[in-house]
Amino acid sequence: MVTRIPGCNTFLRRATCAAAFLMLALCPGARGAEVQAQLDRDSVPAGNGALLTLRISGGRAGQPDIPPVENLIVQPRGQSQQMQVINGQTTVSVTYNYVVGSNTPGVYQIPAVEIMVDGKKFSTQPLKLKVLDAGAANPPAGTPPSPPGSPPAGGADADAAEHRFGQLTVELVLKDRNYLFVGEIAPVCIRAWIPADARAQLRSGIQPEGQAFTLHHVSDQPQQTQERKDGKRYLVVTWFGGISATKAGKYPASLSVNATVAVRDTSAATPRRRMGGPFDDPFFDRMLDDMNTPMIQKDVTLKSDDEQIEVRPLPSAGRPAEFTGAVGNFKFDTWELPATWTTGEPQQIFARLSGSGNFALMNAPQPGPAAAWKTYPGQSEFTPGDNASFAGSKSFQFSAVPRKGGPQQVALTFSFFDPATAAYKTLTSPPRNIEVAGEDLVDAQPNTTTTAKEPDKPQDDLAGQHPALTPPGTLVPLVSRPAFVRLLAAAAALCGLGQLLAWLRRRRGDPQRRARAAMECATRQARQTAAQCAAARDVAGFFAAARRAIQHRLGALWNQPAQAITLAEIQARLPAASPVARFFHEAYHQEYSRQTIGDIEPHWQALLDEALASLTEPAPRP
Amino acid sequence: MTLYRLSHLICLLLGSAALGAAATTTPFEQANQHFKTGEFAAAARAYEQLLTTEGPRAAVFYNLGNSYQRLGQFGPAILAYERARLLSPRDPDLSVNLALARKAAAAFEEPGAHPRLDGLLNHLSCNEWSWLVAAAALALGGLTLVCGAVPLPRRWLRTSARVAAAMAGITIVTGAAALYLRRGEHTRGIVLSAAATVRLSPFDSAEALGTPGPGRSVRLGAHTGAFRYVEVPATHLRGWMADADVAAIIPSLILNPKEGKGNRLGWRFLP
Repeated sequence: MVTRIPGCNTFLRRATCAAAFLMLALCPGARGAEVQAQLDRDSVPAGNGALLTLRISGGRAGQPDIPPVENLIVQPRGQSQQMQVINGQTTVSVTYNYVVGSNTPGVYQIPAVEIMVDGKKFSTQPLKLKVLDAGAANPPAGTPPSPPGSPPAGGADADAAEHRFGQLTVELVLKDRNYLFVGEIAPVCIRAWIPADARAQLRSGIQPEGQAFTLHHVSDQPQQTQERKDGKRYLVVTWFGGISATKAGKYPASLSVNATVAVRDTSAATPRRRMGGPFDDPFFDRMLDDMNTPMIQKDVTLKSDDEQIEVRPLPSAGRPAEFTGAVGNFKFDTWELPATWTTGEPQQIFARLSGSGNFALMNAPQPGPAAAWKTYPGQSEFTPGDNASFAGSKSFQFSAVPRKGGPQQVALTFSFFDPATAAYKTLTSPPRNIEVAGEDLVDAQPNTTTTAKEPDKPQDDLAGQHPALTPPGTLVPLVSRPAFVRLLAAAAALCGLGQLLAWLRRRRGDPQRRARAAMECATRQARQTAAQCAAARDVAGFFAAARRAIQHRLGALWNQPAQAITLAEIQARLPAASPVARFFHEAYHQEYSRQTIGDIEPHWQALLDEALASLTEPAPRP
Repeated sequence: MTLYRLSHLICLLLGSAALGAAATTTPFEQANQHFKTGEFAAAARAYEQLLTTEGPRAAVFYNLGNSYQRLGQFGPAILAYERARLLSPRDPDLSVNLALARKAAAAFEEPGAHPRLDGLLNHLSCNEWSWLVAAAALALGGLTLVCGAVPLPRRWLRTSARVAAAMAGITIVTGAAALYLRRGEHTRGIVLSAAATVRLSPFDSAEALGTPGPGRSVRLGAHTGAFRYVEVPATHLRGWMADADVAAIIPSLILNPKEGKGNRLGWRFLP
């Protein structure tokens, strides 16, 4: 049971704060500032590192900056702070750790490091580091491992450094053999071995690095397992796929995958100092050391060791004449052909073969006997039978022409190389009876006799020479010639011209425009008549013609027949002071005054001009 | 008597004309004769000469390919066949012989991902596709001009014009798509010799990266000195190859790649 004394806690808290304040206040001035640099060894093998410690005490300092030295790798390894009270004197020091090393043997001088402590410049003493040849060097016990990112020096250390972030292995999954044949798609198992305590993220799929092999059908979703190898635990990512080669020989199966891997930086690990307590036991050392060890992350390319894979050529012995490169194991599924044929006339033959192997190199089976048929390339379609597309079926549809007439027995033949037995095989479909109408086709014979040497035996059934000269052409397509652009420009010009003509035609046929033109014409005629009447002193005629001109304009504006526009309507729709209304009023006045002959007064003409001018403006809407 | 002499004279003239016709054979027939008698090298020379003097002809390229194939020179044979295919894309004999040459040279072509589409695209040559596009564009332009200039009085005429315009538009789009998809052809080349080596740098002494083999299709790139950058499709083999070991299928475009300008379809203009 704890008895609390009132006020005691407050007192203790205040006393602690005061002591801490006093300590901190006294710290900078307690002793003079000091900067030290120290290497934990004088020499290291190439590819390894020494620990450089930079200790700053007695003041506040910024981050030190190590001057660069050519070929010398300097990597920070964190910092620590210590506070010591000795005989009442408090010292605060900050220690910066670096791993320094090089891949090039030689003597390196680490120049003086300048550091600003409390506004004053301090500098360390220069240090010398001898980097020994990796092969000759015998690193002393306790040598820290190579700095991460630096290339390994060689030997086992090099391998360890190379595989630190993981590695790739490639394995042929073939029974009873460790080689493949040219053109064969051999199943492979590709594994990425990543240390179990690392974190990895794959950034690409499997990629071949060399030129010798081609990858096929690599699984999209790799399997993940935990495995132990050489006493270490690994996370193993496994892909299955196929590998093929087009040339014989021994080639490295160089595959790679890009990944981002984070591993523990063991070079920065410091053994735990046991300070007593419940965890002061070696059992916890490994676990707590791991927890205290920082992780380093790096984008790496995991590569397979250049394991050689042997690619054997297809044997020339026993190669059937109809062999076209298919490698695998196949069988006839079905085939169809018409029962009646005519010599010289092509018809379609359908065949489907299934099995496993390299379907890309598989060509259509040929009807036999070969001398009786001529075939042409047709269409083919591959249907995968499994996820990896190793197995499946391929359908062929092609044209064939019979060369010999009469009843025949036809069978399709197909040859392939079986890599499992390392032998060629020829499949023959069940024969079918067909009837071929027409005469036998005879090849044209040369009509000249010659004493020249006999031609060599043809290697293959080449289709014959073309006897007639075809018209000259050009290898450069029109699309690559300037004429193509000119033709397109001409077509665009025609389109534009057509559009222009269409617009003009539409404009010409516009009823509103036509009505407006008719109105202008009628108005013009009425004005001419009015002018003639004015010259003839025909007052009635002048007013009748002038009124007609105004009526035409008003009719166009109000969209109604000109004859239907009367004074009453004008008075109803236009203000009485408008020139149109005033002219119409004057016209009616003159009409009722029965004055038919007389001078046309100038203000009548002016009023007419004013009325017509007012109607050429935007429509005087009522 | 006069009639008798006249008939003799006519017979004499006809006979000499026939003899003259038999005696004068064209260079093409002479080259074919060389081939028939097994003088394949002489035939190849004659065909090459014919191409130089009379320009590219499908039959000459085809026969030249046959001559090289008989000589066992599969690289030049495949090159000649490929050039013949530019001029005569639907010649079945040509396809058969090209396949035989590829088989003999072990220069198998990886089939495309869409064989039917490839078949449709390759049914016409690029030249034919481009003429089709140009003709359709001109037809569309002409149709627009006619329809703009003259009002079509009948309804069936207007409907026909609309259908024709739609078909021309579809043809233009299809042809342009085909030309776009086949834009890589102007950089295609054929490896001519078995010793053709892909090197790391454009120097004779540079490290050899591999030998693609004769007849192999490659993509051609930049040109430096006597070397050309090549990429072998479906492999990771890329580097520099001597000019003499590789030839472009469309020669005039590839030989001057920097002098011409490209168009929107990706084809490079002939300078």
